[in-house]
Parts: sequence; structure tokens; C-alpha cells
Amino acid sequence: MAKILIIDDDPDMVLAARLCLENAGHEVYEAASSREGLSSIEQVRPDIIILDVMMDTTTSGFQLALTLRSPDPNSPYAEYANIPIIMLTAIHTTSPVKLSPDSDYLPVDAFIDKPIDPTALLKQIEEILAK
Amino acid sequence: MGRIKPSGDDKQALDDLELKSLRILFADDVYSGIKRIVRARWGAGILLVVVTAISVYLLNLPLRVLPLYLLGIIILLYNTAFALYIRRCASSQHMALKPLRRVILLQVALDWLCLSVFIHLTGGIASPGIPVLMIHMLMVTILLPYQTPYWFVIIGTLVLLLVTGLELFNVIPHIGVIPGFPLDLHRNTFYVLSVLTFFAATAFMSVYLTSSIMRRLRWRERQIIALFETSRAISSTLSLPEVMDRLAKSAADALNAQGALIRLLDETGDQLKMTASYGLSQSYLDKGPVSIAHSKLDVEALSGTAVLVDDAPADSRIQYPEQVKSEGIRSMLVAPIRGSSRVLGVLRVYANRPASFTNDDVVFLTAVAEQGAIALENALVHENLHDVNQERAQFVRLVTHELRAPVTSAQSLLRVLLQGVTGTLTNQQADILGRIDLRLNTLLELINDLLTLAATKTNFLAQELTRIPLQPVVLEVVEHMRHLAEEKHLSLTCDLPSEALPVLVAEDGLRRVLENLIGNAIKYTPEGGQVRVRVVEYGAQVATYVEDTGIGIPEEELQNLWNEFFRATNAKKTGITGTGLGLSIVKQVVEQFGGTVSAQNREGQGTVFRFTLPLA
Repeated sequence: MAKILIIDDDPDMVLAARLCLENAGHEVYEAASSREGLSSIEQVRPDIIILDVMMDTTTSGFQLALTLRSPDPNSPYAEYANIPIIMLTAIHTTSPVKLSPDSDYLPVDAFIDKPIDPTALLKQIEEILAK
Repeated sequence: MGRIKPSGDDKQALDDLELKSLRILFADDVYSGIKRIVRARWGAGILLVVVTAISVYLLNLPLRVLPLYLLGIIILLYNTAFALYIRRCASSQHMALKPLRRVILLQVALDWLCLSVFIHLTGGIASPGIPVLMIHMLMVTILLPYQTPYWFVIIGTLVLLLVTGLELFNVIPHIGVIPGFPLDLHRNTFYVLSVLTFFAATAFMSVYLTSSIMRRLRWRERQIIALFETSRAISSTLSLPEVMDRLAKSAADALNAQGALIRLLDETGDQLKMTASYGLSQSYLDKGPVSIAHSKLDVEALSGTAVLVDDAPADSRIQYPEQVKSEGIRSMLVAPIRGSSRVLGVLRVYANRPASFTNDDVVFLTAVAEQGAIALENALVHENLHDVNQERAQFVRLVTHELRAPVTSAQSLLRVLLQGVTGTLTNQQADILGRIDLRLNTLLELINDLLTLAATKTNFLAQELTRIPLQPVVLEVVEHMRHLAEEKHLSLTCDLPSEALPVLVAEDGLRRVLENLIGNAIKYTPEGGQVRVRVVEYGAQVATYVEDTGIGIPEEELQNLWNEFFRATNAKKTGITGTGLGLSIVKQVVEQFGGTVSAQNREGQGTVFRFTLPLA
């Protein structure tokens, strides 16, 4: 089973995800901010990161993903650049901005819409682990 | 205080204006002047022949008939040549000023040659035809702008002198035409001098008066055109920077000034912020802040009257005399921009010659500044509205996010329970939790619609519109929604013209419009009914119809259909949930794309929704 880090400032959302993932036998870690998330990544070295798109600011999730996937070879996070990222988003359906996993624009592997659907979340995790 | 100079001194400015104008425009003015001179010359040639005939045959005057007839015919001949030339110019649509000037010079030279011969044939210094010289001078002064008319006074006098001289030294004979007149008047020094003196003086005065009248007329004409151009330029846009730029440029152009700038009072009322400039160097514009405390000149202007500065580098009211000097500015005119309730700022124009601006300029610039004030206030109101709208949309989005976060969290937890992650639920528990989930769904839908509505007020506008064919999007949305129709056993058909109909839209917005209209049609049409989507091109528009055999809309409620949160009474009774925002989103988006929306009930049953988009 996998080590999964959830980075989200909403404790209820974290709880819902934790319950699903632990029920499926995964090991769950949590962080409530981008900064906390970065130090957790170094400590935990997770297999998958679940990242909320909006935390304290509307783009902090994006920025964290960009930091992790920085193309700069001297980036302090270069060794974590290959950890798969699932982005939790609520703007996927309603915003006129089209979101798609795009390595230039949004360096994430998948999107999951809020509210979290347990079945869909687990299916996504399995797909990523299978790669 | 600013000295306002007597308006008689404005000749230099006018000359400058004329020189500049000569270079840049008014070729057609010169052209129409030539045309009128040609027309007048027809009259002159014919008149010469006719008057000669009358004088000889009716009055028995001892005229030299043949040379006079010949002169008339020569005039008519070269006039024909010029008339043909002008017609060719007109048809070529190309009126360059340079060849026109050459044509003018040639015409005037030929005219003077003929006039010399005419004077000689009609008696030289004793000719009763001498006033004809003056008529020609005045006509050229009036009809041909930007010529130097005083030359003609000299030429006229010289022609008289020359003819008299040639006759005096018997190079050509002296011809007496008035019976009883002494035949040796050209030998009478006193007579010759007095005729020449009176002729020169009268000609000079006439030309002077005529040309100053014409100058003033043309100056006024230019001012009116400039004022008209100014008002047209600044009322054609609501963008504040553009309004200000045009204002500065047209003020400088109209006053033949080297530069112009507009400074507006900031919020504190202490500083004058540079808002627009024209024709000034960057280093001058960067010279430093202009504050009320240090710029006496602006304080004077802000008190409500225009200020003239005749010697700018030496004027104690100037805040930056060194910079003014190095920019080459020698005189200034500063007019207040007076808004409806307060003075908004100043409009300055700069000239590189001392005492360049006049009393007329003061009046003119004040008028321009007043025009500018109106445009400025309009643009400010528009900008405020735009800001308020942006802020409101931003606020709605933030609030919506805050509203949605707890709902989605609650739903996420609910689904964890409902899907048995934490253990099996009793039927009753599952039923209750299911109901809660449904209500939260409705709430989320409402919040999402609100978010979209807020987005339509900003994002779609900010998003770049692209030119795409309409039908593929329609087809895609119809196919995307087909499963909803099939669940209700509805027939969903699509009728699209084959030729591409391009529209200028944001694709997501267009998709949202179609989803809302088709979704509604499916939602409110009972099982077994029909939903039909049609696209029809008419004129420069393309109309998309979404027709259903659904429950219809009460006639009296049709007009409220597009209001936010409005739901038709019969729709509410169906028990189908809805937010009442879908159609107002449709309207907002379609109108942002330059289209229109309408709805009406069909004969029998059902509704037709129509939206149009301009073809791109």
C-alpha cells in the first residue's frame, strides 16, 4: 500500500479523504499549508500527494505544484519532482478556465472534483499506482 | 496675471499656421481656388472680346481691334488648357500640392503678361482699364490661400511702369483710346507718378484688408474644424487615457503648438499628475512632480482662468524654468479643465517662440478644455463603474468560495458514510443521509450558478474571444446531453446548416449557454416529448433555437424570465429543483458576445428559446 500526503487546510475534507484512504489500507499523512506540506514531503517522502487547489490564496495549490515540479535542476525539490500529484479542485466544472493536466501549465497528474467521491478517489489512486 | 495681448499681433502665428497648413493639408482648398479662377477667366476673356466690339462698333472708340480680339482669344485658349488640366487632376483623385503651386504660378504669370498687353492696348498709363489689375490682385488674394499677395502690388506697379517706360522710349507706340485725352500723358512725369502712387497705395490697402479678412476667416474655419475634431475624437471613446491623449494632440495641432500636456489633480488635491502628453521629450516629462505649492502658474489656471506665459524661461511662476529652457519652450498657454463641480486639472500647450499665443488662442483652448472636461468626467464615471463591477464580481467569487468550501466538505464526509467506508448503515440512516446529500447538492448547484454569474461579469469579458464555427459546438453539447434526454425517453434532434457559420465567442461561455438552454428543455419536458435544436442564418446574424414540447411558461411571466433567481410558477410546482440563475447566465453571456436572447411559448405546448450571435 502507498504513503499518501494530503495537503489541505480544510480539516473535514482531510478527514473524509483520510477515512477513504485508510479504509483501503493506505498510510495517510496530512499537512494544512503549503509550507507544512513541503517539510512533510521531505520527512515522509510520500508515494502520492493530494493537493488542494486553493488554500490561503486562490492559487497556492498551483504554486506548490509548480515549486515541486520546477524544471530547474538545482531546485531543492528536484528529487521530489516525480511524486504523482492529484489536485483537489472545485473550480474544475464551473470556471471558464479550462483545467487539464498539462505539464507546462499545471504540473499535476490528475484532478478530483470536490465533493470527494470515495469510489472515484480510490480508483484514481489505483490508476496512478498502477503506472 | 497673464497678459492677454491685443489680437492684432497675431500675424506671425497666423503665417506659421498657414505655412504648416500649406505643407500638410488644404491641397483641395487651393484646388477649388484654381477652379474658381479658371471660371472667372472665362468671363474675362469673353468680356474682353464683347467690350472691345461694343467700344468699337457702338462707341466708335479708336481701339486696336485685332490685337484686343487676339488677346481675348489667347486668354480663352490658355484657360481651356488649365480647365482640362484641372479636370484631369480631379479624375486622378490625386491632388499633390507641389504641381498645383506650379500651375498657380504659371497661370498668374500668363495673366500678368496678358494684363500688361491689355494695359498697353488700352492706353498705357492713361488706360481706363487700370482697375482691372486690382480686380485680379484681389481675386487671387481671396481665392488662393497662402500666396503672398503683396507681391502682386509690386508686380502691378511694375507692369504700369514698364508699359509707360517702353512707350516713353518708343519701344512700343503709345495708343490713345479716349477721344479728347492728351496723347502725351505718358510723358507727363507728374501724371505718371501720381497714377503710380495712387495705384500702388490703393492696391496695397485693398490687398492688405482683403488678405487680413481672409486670414481671419480661414483661422476661424480651422478653429471650428479643430474644435469639431476635438469633440468628435474625445467622444468616440470612453477609455480615459485615450480621451486624454486625443485631447492633448488636438489642442497642440489646432494651436500649432509644439507640445501639449494634461495634468490632473490627484486625490489629495496637492499634486498635478501627468495624464497625457504630446510632442514633449521624455526627459521633460520626467522632470519631477508638479505640486500646487510650487507651481504658481497652475494655481492661477486652477482658479478658473486661462494663463498666458509669453516668456516662459524667465517667468517666475514656472516651477521648472531650467527644464523649460532646455526643452526649447518659450511660451505657454494653460487652461483649466473645469468639471461640473470642481476644477479637475490643467491643459497646457507649449510653443518654441516667445509670445506665441494670442487672445483667440485663449478662447479656443478654454473651449477645448471645456470639451475635455465633459469627456473626462464621462470617462471617469465609466472607469468607476467598471471598477465597481470588477470589485463586486471579485467579492462574489470570494464569498462563493467561502460558501462552497463547507458544503463540499460536508458532502465529502456524507459520501464517506453513505458508501459504507466507516461501516454499514441502516436503511433509515442511509435514507436520511441521502436526503441531506440531495439538499446539499441543490445548495452547491446554486452556489456554482452564482459563481458562474459572477464570472460572466468579469472573466468572459476578460477572456479573449475567438472566431470559431458555431455548429461543432452545438453538436458537441447536444451529444454530451443526449444521455439525459434518453433517460427521459425524449427525442433530441439537431438541425444544422451545412455551411460554416463563424462567430466571435469564448467557447466555454457558448457551451454554457447551450448546456443551460438544452438542459432546461430536457428538464421541463415530460417523458416522451421532443427537444429540437435548430441553427438558422439570417443576414449578418445566426440564430440558435431550442424548442421543446414541455410545460411552457405562463405568458405574464415571460418578461421576468431572464431575471436572476426568477423561476416560473409552473416550473416550481413540478418539484424539479433549479436555481433560477441559468437563464440569466445565458442572457449575460450572449449579450457579452454581442447577441440577443428571447423566449416565447409555442402554439400548442412547449417553449422556444432563441439566441442570436453576430456572424464574425
